[in-house]
Amino acid sequence: MSGAILSTHGLVARYGDFQALYGIDFHIDAGEAVALIGANGAGKSTFLRAVMGLLPVAPDMVRMGGQPVGGTPADRMVQKGVAIVPEGRRLFSGMSVQDNLRVAVDQADRLGRKGGWSLARLHQLFPILKEKARTPVQSLSGGQQQMVSIGRALLCQPRVLLCDEISLGLAPRVIREIYAALPEVRAQGTSVVLVEQDVGLAQSASDRLYCMLEGRVTLTGPSGSVTRDAIGQAYFGGSHAVA
Amino acid sequence: MTMVSMMPPQVRIRRQTASGRIALALFVLAVIGLAAMPWWAKTGTIRMVLELCCYVAVAQMWNMLAGYAGLVSVGQQAFMGASGYALFVLAQTFGVNPFLAVFLSLLVPLVLAVPCYLLLHRLDGPYFAIGTWVVAEVFRLVASNLPLVNAGAGMSLSVMKDYSAFQRNIAMSLFCALLVLVSIGGSYWFLRSRFGLALIAMRDNPVAAASQGVNVRRLRFMIYVAAAVGCGLVGAVYFMAQLRINPPSAFDPMWSNIAIFIVMVGGIASIEGVLIGTLIYFIADRWFGEYGASYFVVLGVMTVLVALYARTGIWGMIAARWDAPWFPIRRHLVLERDKP
Repeated sequence: MSGAILSTHGLVARYGDFQALYGIDFHIDAGEAVALIGANGAGKSTFLRAVMGLLPVAPDMVRMGGQPVGGTPADRMVQKGVAIVPEGRRLFSGMSVQDNLRVAVDQADRLGRKGGWSLARLHQLFPILKEKARTPVQSLSGGQQQMVSIGRALLCQPRVLLCDEISLGLAPRVIREIYAALPEVRAQGTSVVLVEQDVGLAQSASDRLYCMLEGRVTLTGPSGSVTRDAIGQAYFGGSHAVA
Repeated sequence: MTMVSMMPPQVRIRRQTASGRIALALFVLAVIGLAAMPWWAKTGTIRMVLELCCYVAVAQMWNMLAGYAGLVSVGQQAFMGASGYALFVLAQTFGVNPFLAVFLSLLVPLVLAVPCYLLLHRLDGPYFAIGTWVVAEVFRLVASNLPLVNAGAGMSLSVMKDYSAFQRNIAMSLFCALLVLVSIGGSYWFLRSRFGLALIAMRDNPVAAASQGVNVRRLRFMIYVAAAVGCGLVGAVYFMAQLRINPPSAFDPMWSNIAIFIVMVGGIASIEGVLIGTLIYFIADRWFGEYGASYFVVLGVMTVLVALYARTGIWGMIAARWDAPWFPIRRHLVLERDKP
């Protein structure tokens, strides 16, 4: 954990009077993929929003390279090297594919973010984005929209990529296509936090996993060695810590 | 064996269209025509065109605020009045050249907009709108009680008598051209700049825009201040032409109503919509203005109907049928074929 690129320490988040997260301790190393699993309402998306600076949290609760960054506004988090693929994709609906991507390119330039991702490189990863460059994003399929959303985040040149339910509502073939791109992302040294409801998918795509239930972490451990029984109990109730 | 090029593909960005070139040419001609009005138009016509240009400018400022920054203001008249009063005080009380004073008076909305925004930005949606209205009312009450501006009695710009009718016509014509150039030309330039893409992203989804690195807070602040200065320019020019200012006219909420009507009916978040909406309002005002309250009820009903059933306004309906923007702001990526 000492080399963690991103970590949280007793992370607490609220929506008004409602407390959504109860003291989450989390860390991810450079180039690592970590999955966050849990049922609806477990607090997975809230965790990503809190890390990204979209929810108010105390500075010490989120650290990057040991430096407190909790509560830093989202645009400043991008500058620090965190990007998010939000749930529901949240594309800029009035724009074409290329304009959606250019927003990220422009902002990365403005913020001085350098990295290995360019439009040409992205077109190699998702060739359909080159074909559909001038197409309004609203007329793309769900999978293609998800590729735009991932591409947009990658063009921010992140050190940590937060992916919120990128398989949601997509056909299995499209999900495989999207997940096949993750090793390429990690090969760039980018750490990936995957929020995922499909446990099998999450296990196969990550090095470690955290299971959440009602705003608390109920299970952590290497993805390959956590048993389905342990996950089942942590997912629906009970507490298991796997070394 | 085939060689795969590792060089990135040659691309260029095309941002202009045939319709855009035609519109740009017409726009330049219109600006020249406005500036040359003293040589082809009568004083009455110039005053009428000046009013039209004021509508265009104030509506475009509201369009930038509401259509792009998501800041629905019903109090932009605060800055029109503040700037108008500043012009009268500078020219009438301190003897500054009134034409120079128009530009100096813009410092007042520029300075006032900063604390106003710091106060208002904490409010969301309807609360922000109400807040802007309250600010405008505070400005009106201050002007109504401030001896420097002759309190509720208002002020007259008698120094304009020092200039001949032709000189005043030249000034009004140049200000007409300036209003259109700054509001329409300036907005077009801004929307085509790097800020423009970020602004459109912010319009579509502020949270996603912030997550892509767009500094939504700073962009909103910039738009608010720029709109305040733009409305200030309208106020200074309009009241200079009126030669008289008092608190009810300077801070008249009707300006916000007109801007909302023009933008909603013409088409929000588009420059074309502002031009179409302004023409509709201007013609309707000339034809039906004599019906007074009934006429305003009809305008209000029209705005509500458009908001309910045609949210993109008239320009939105046109754009859905024909892809021929007058002020294109989209970028088209064109892949260049490899040369042999």
